[in-house]
Amino acid sequence: MNKHGNLLENLAWQGISRRSFLKYCATLASLMALPPTAGRAMAEALARAPRPSVIWLPFQECTGCTESITRSHSPSIEGLIFDSISLDYQETLMAAAGHQAEEVLHKVVAENEGKFVLIIDGSVATGLDGAYSCIAGRSNLDLLREVGPKAAAIVAVGSCAAFGGIPKAKPNPTGAVAVSDIIRDKPVVNIPGCPPIPVVMTGVLAHFITFGSLPELDRLGRPRAFFGETIHDRCYRRPFYDQGKFAKTFDDDGARKGWCLFELGCKGPVTYNACAHVKWNDGTSFPIESGHGCIGCSEPDFWDAGGFYKALSMPADPLKFVAGAAVAGAAVGVAVSIANRARKGAAKAAHETATLADLEK
Amino acid sequence: MGLEDIPVTVETGAADLTGNAQALLGEIAALLQRMLATGEGGAIDLASLPFSPADRSWLEQRLGRGEVEIRLMAAGLSTFNETACPGVWWVSHHNEAGIRVSELIEVARIPELVAAHPDDVKIGLERLNNLINELD
Repeated sequence: MNKHGNLLENLAWQGISRRSFLKYCATLASLMALPPTAGRAMAEALARAPRPSVIWLPFQECTGCTESITRSHSPSIEGLIFDSISLDYQETLMAAAGHQAEEVLHKVVAENEGKFVLIIDGSVATGLDGAYSCIAGRSNLDLLREVGPKAAAIVAVGSCAAFGGIPKAKPNPTGAVAVSDIIRDKPVVNIPGCPPIPVVMTGVLAHFITFGSLPELDRLGRPRAFFGETIHDRCYRRPFYDQGKFAKTFDDDGARKGWCLFELGCKGPVTYNACAHVKWNDGTSFPIESGHGCIGCSEPDFWDAGGFYKALSMPADPLKFVAGAAVAGAAVGVAVSIANRARKGAAKAAHETATLADLEK
Repeated sequence: MGLEDIPVTVETGAADLTGNAQALLGEIAALLQRMLATGEGGAIDLASLPFSPADRSWLEQRLGRGEVEIRLMAAGLSTFNETACPGVWWVSHHNEAGIRVSELIEVARIPELVAAHPDDVKIGLERLNNLINELD
């Protein structure tokens, strides 16, 4: 394959027409919550873009993120976006192994210093100097400290890399932390989710290839294009919430009519992700559409945030109040945050004693 | 196996309108007005709106079908169906597996994707000239 031309030439080489590419860009723009007409601008920029080198390091992870991404929809064209990058190191996908693979890694890092994109899935184990998770005899922690500062951009894929995820869940035996806890002097793009939505990753890469920069991020380092709104904001059941129509059990009349799952523990209102409009399994549906509330898998510490089947209204989300108080300013803020700290403590204590009855709510 | 092959029917709130489809009619009218005034059309991404299946079919019925149906085969089927309001197109993009990946209402005299790009026309002309030369 001609690897030297620009993306559109590469596509034409493979019999992919301009219209196919424009159509893909229109869909991508839609998924990135850009105006529908932004597809053309993206297509023009993407078509001229050079190919960046990408290194993908798996840390304390389950390979679910890789599974999700390699099963992304419209594989032919998205595959070509991946083809337009140079994925130089990915342990699960690469043919090389052992010393050969490690040689590639160090060669690519040395040759592309300051230019490559570093993708990481999995949390970083810090316990016992990182000995809980090693590749080729080196701890993830050590590798990240060496490779991280040399990357042009770092993308933390999945809730584990972004926020610590399930390895960090109490009691966190390996001392797991997020990538951004180790790399402090470089922006880290967090693409949380357990697993994350494949096209979100393609979208971030497309943005980097298109504009040569990272997309706009929110306070948790997530791209606003995909994480700017909650599941609840974009949920097709949202109007039923507004009308006060709630399913009370999973098999009542309301559940059958597709009413809001808030009272059954749906975390949609506090979960920022794109599931409600991007959807899963080739655009088939998303959890709420299948009749189950959102469990908030793309939010920090979702595993320890109380029962999945406990309505958000009981107890109220204590973390949100604390965040609000910090912004409010010193004088008022201190009083409110002390009050909220007490409340947070109480809520935390309540969460720790989750019983089977809690799950059944 | 597709969803329709699973022999269970579930009520999905299909009968319940949320009120969002009605609001969209006004937005489409505004886009049409802008196109008449400035020539610049626009598009509304249906996939990104909180729309129940009932809203979607309500809107589809209200907008009706016009005279033009365009089928585009490019990385899967795309259809551009003119609605009963000329200039308003119901656009559906499918991928190669036949799965719908996006759905838009496009306000334009001709949908943007349908018109041939000048660069592609040049390539076509070149091909045609080659054919003519081969005849000699």
